[in-house]
Amino acid sequence: MLRFARSRPGERSRVRAIRALFLRHGDESTPEGRSLRLLRAWLSPAQRAHFAEKGYFEVVGGDTGRQYRIHAGAGMNVCEVDKKGRPTLGLCFMPVGELPIGDIMLSQKIALENWESGALAVARRFIPNRFSFRRSRLLG
Amino acid sequence: MAIQVVMDRTGDSRHRFDPDGEQELAKAEQRFYELTKVGFTAAVRTGPGKVSQIQSFDPNAEETVFFPRLVGG
Repeated sequence: MLRFARSRPGERSRVRAIRALFLRHGDESTPEGRSLRLLRAWLSPAQRAHFAEKGYFEVVGGDTGRQYRIHAGAGMNVCEVDKKGRPTLGLCFMPVGELPIGDIMLSQKIALENWESGALAVARRFIPNRFSFRRSRLLG
Repeated sequence: MAIQVVMDRTGDSRHRFDPDGEQELAKAEQRFYELTKVGFTAAVRTGPGKVSQIQSFDPNAEETVFFPRLVGG
């Protein structure tokens, strides 16, 4: 007879932390690890620190000067934030193809900083709620 | 050595070339236009965290990254 063992307290967070360490210290053999290394190399020091600490980083739109937050994620991971840092509008856009997470986030950063109107033209918009950008993984 | 980094499902493909080598430079230039012709965006790093999109091949760029066309999710 099968029985589902209840996980010990804190086990899930331990597993998550180990996985994050594994990724953070660059498992170059995985697409995700390689893409995150590339992303970190192309972030500014402030963005890199933010990403490591909070799981997201912020960019300034090249055309409008609006502030955007890019969360770790492969879709529905970008939002526009107001001056108080509150998400006001969710944006979903990404490069075609099945790219790993770091590549997607770097493409989003480059697009918003250099070609904001083009990125906004293709992006699907959504209203963010308090569950939209919950931090699920430490990847910075 | 300069490098062209092309994003793909493996993370990226890296193409190193000697910018002083005529043949290698020509090959890098050809790769640039082949990729941008099919919709890739090219960008170069201009400072820490500073990135600029480029429309034409820059023989002096040390590192160029290419990502595919953007679509809405």
